[in-house]
Amino acid sequence: MLGIVLDLVIIASLIALAIQVVSGASLFRGIIHFIVMGLTLALAWARLGAPDLAMAEAAIGAGVTGALMMVAYRRLVEITPDHNPSRTGSRSRLALPIAVGAGGLVGLLGLGATLSDPEPGLAGLAVLEALQDEALGNPITGVLLLYRGLDTLLEIAVLLTAFLAAVAVTRREDLDYSITTRDPHTPLVGALLAIIVPLTVLVSVHLLKAGSHDPGGAFQAGAVLAACGVLLVLTSRVSASSQSRPLIGLGIVAGLISFSLIGLAAMLRGEPPMALPGMWAVYFIETAMMLSIALTLVLLFAGTESLRRNQHG
Amino acid sequence: MDNAALYVLAAAVLFGVGVYGLIVSAHLMRKLFAINIMGNAIFILMVAVAGPIDGAPDPVPQALVLTGIVIAVSATAFALALMVRLYQETGRATLADDNGPGNDD
Amino acid sequence: MTTEALALIVFVPLLVAAGMVVLPRSWLGLLIRIGLLPLPFLLLIPTMEVVDNGAYRVVLAGHDSPLGIVWLLDPLSLLMLWLNVGITLLVSLHASFSFPPSDQPARRFWPLWLILFASMNALVLSADLFNIYVTLELVTLAAIGLIAVEGKPAALRAAMRYLLLALMASLLYLLGVGLIYGQTGVLDLYLIAEHLEPAWLTITALALMIVGLLIKSAIFPLHAWLPAAHGNAPGPVSAILSAMVVKVSVYIIWRLWFWTAGDWDLDSAATLMGILGGLAIVYGSVAALVQQRLKMIIAYSTVAQLGYLMLLFPLASTLAFQAASYHLVSHGMAKAAMFLAAANILRSVGSDRLSRLAGIDQRLPLDVFALALAGVSIMGLPPSGGFLAKWLFLEAAREQEAWGWLVLVAASGLLAAAYLFRVLAVMCLHPRRRLRSDRRRRAPNLASVAAILLAVGAIVAGFASAPVLDLVAAGLPPGLAP
Repeated sequence: MLGIVLDLVIIASLIALAIQVVSGASLFRGIIHFIVMGLTLALAWARLGAPDLAMAEAAIGAGVTGALMMVAYRRLVEITPDHNPSRTGSRSRLALPIAVGAGGLVGLLGLGATLSDPEPGLAGLAVLEALQDEALGNPITGVLLLYRGLDTLLEIAVLLTAFLAAVAVTRREDLDYSITTRDPHTPLVGALLAIIVPLTVLVSVHLLKAGSHDPGGAFQAGAVLAACGVLLVLTSRVSASSQSRPLIGLGIVAGLISFSLIGLAAMLRGEPPMALPGMWAVYFIETAMMLSIALTLVLLFAGTESLRRNQHG
Repeated sequence: MDNAALYVLAAAVLFGVGVYGLIVSAHLMRKLFAINIMGNAIFILMVAVAGPIDGAPDPVPQALVLTGIVIAVSATAFALALMVRLYQETGRATLADDNGPGNDD
Repeated sequence: MTTEALALIVFVPLLVAAGMVVLPRSWLGLLIRIGLLPLPFLLLIPTMEVVDNGAYRVVLAGHDSPLGIVWLLDPLSLLMLWLNVGITLLVSLHASFSFPPSDQPARRFWPLWLILFASMNALVLSADLFNIYVTLELVTLAAIGLIAVEGKPAALRAAMRYLLLALMASLLYLLGVGLIYGQTGVLDLYLIAEHLEPAWLTITALALMIVGLLIKSAIFPLHAWLPAAHGNAPGPVSAILSAMVVKVSVYIIWRLWFWTAGDWDLDSAATLMGILGGLAIVYGSVAALVQQRLKMIIAYSTVAQLGYLMLLFPLASTLAFQAASYHLVSHGMAKAAMFLAAANILRSVGSDRLSRLAGIDQRLPLDVFALALAGVSIMGLPPSGGFLAKWLFLEAAREQEAWGWLVLVAASGLLAAAYLFRVLAVMCLHPRRRLRSDRRRRAPNLASVAAILLAVGAIVAGFASAPVLDLVAAGLPPGLAP
């Protein structure tokens, strides 16, 4: 009973927040509502029994997406300080009927599918069965790395492509430092970083390691690590640089290259491509992916293709 | 997972809200909000409509949604960069009111 | 051997793209060669396999479906691989001049170019609904990044519109995938057929996926994003967008329609798809007729030519399959040639407005020749690949006494002739005027050669058709096999 009430509260807030996001007056508040909606969605995932998704949603869906939206908003404001766009474009009378129709169709399909009491999926059953022979305890990590590795590899490639495309459309001349603090020497900042940075690194390593048995994995860990990087950018410990550095480049593609090479190397052993040689490969690939994800997200946040270190006492 | 039907309905409403936002907003960032809301609705649906295994949700759609979340953030990141550049070049963060496709050489 | 070759066909360009991010710029020229040149040779191995055995499955990671992901190599996917490799290589010849490795923009262009190449190879092989989603996203993001790479406002705006629509399209597709997994518990394109009953739920799910793919392939009336995107992209990008990127989505629709739902009775839906194709042909041609810019004319021509690929649904026979596949090949080459020639003209004249192109054949004879030659195939004049494709369509329509489609195909050639002759008339017949061009830079000759080679390819396709047609006939979907 309590569960149902909780579900209803979560769903009501999700819907209310979504309405706020699309129809609120200010863009800035829209972003805030979007982030809060992401966090509420994380609760919904937890209620649906999907803790991995709850973590991913909180870290990536709410955290990273929100941060990227904030910084993009900041850049718009930079160009036009009173960036206050008119709320709506076409005041089409058709908007509401179309939206109701689309939502109705999705609801009809979804209810039809749920109420038909679907059998357990063959793929899902196969995963749970195959997992018994593996040292992995988390079926989702199993799907992502062992059984549907190509999806994950291509997903890393999607992130790389988005980064390359974003760099391609970013004007080189205006590397902006506006997102960083004006006064990096504020006494408490250094002390704060000294605590937070090691802590986030620890958390992300834990998430990565936990991913083999409990909820967690490279993506959640990468997002947490990225948060740490974003903090370093904001406090101007590192800043945007137009000079490409091989080490940064290597970090960006480490996940893709190590997954691809280990996946291809299987053929040298006479196994099919993408077969992993053992648990060490899972850990290795996940670590490389975590670093790539974190670095790519930080670069996307800073709007640059490279970073340099700044010296602050 | 006995709450699946409830969340399916929530997904339907969220999808509708997203579609509405996509139609009525001119600002590109609002359109991106709307598309992300629609995406989230579909993610919820994907997990909720799969048959549970021993009372727990099927791991396969969960893994697919995890992949979907990363793809969504990637696409959003690129779209935001594109929006900023468009604003720098044209002074507008909307697609409306352009003088027809391809009129400028 | 085949497994190894297919893996390399996907991974070599992908890894080379990653290498471009790490290695210094001086390596770029070498990397481009490594990423592209071995591919045709690698592709010979799967070709032998298909010729000998018909089809081949690669069970990735050793986990067969429903657990894992499978690549299926069959005659149709082999054809798509050859088309992608061949056209990408020839267009790359052009791109190595428009984006020379020594220039600054090259570092931005080439990694995306190779990712696009690799992802289309992966897409045509994939037999998994969700893997197709991921791969399509990769194709789309790389393609849109390439459209915007020069940062021109018109291209940026077109890229943004394309991106929003493509994201929406992907969501529709993903919704369908989620529903189908919920009903069947499998994701393998070919395995689903055994588990999928044509109930209202599954039909709607499939319809959602197809609508998503129709948006991505810009089929009328969902074409609105295409002309600006293809018309404002850099030359080589326009070429590959029209020749390949929109086609791979149609290819996936064919797979879903004739393989996954091969047993279903979809007659009325097939007629609807055919009508959309017919409208696309008429609308695209008429719109091309009133455009003022060369690249926009070619872009609207793509809207029209895509319509032919939809005629396969109502005609659905061996002949129709050969016709549609052959159209894919000949239009791919001809359209790529046209966009490359237009890029050379644009670069040389500084504008591609028709009013500025009068008498251009004197200055750029090679490019105008390529344009005219490719035009022969687009109009479907003999002897060209386009002619053969149209002829096969006519035969297919006659065989089934589908007179409506027959008239449409016969008349559509005239429409194409109208908009193309308008272009050629301005260029060659117009009383010569002094060109007002301030920039007299001639396009490098090899860039014109790339256009000529593709145009000649589209013509030669009219003679050397037997291997392709036999290949397609050997790979018919289960429902169509005689």
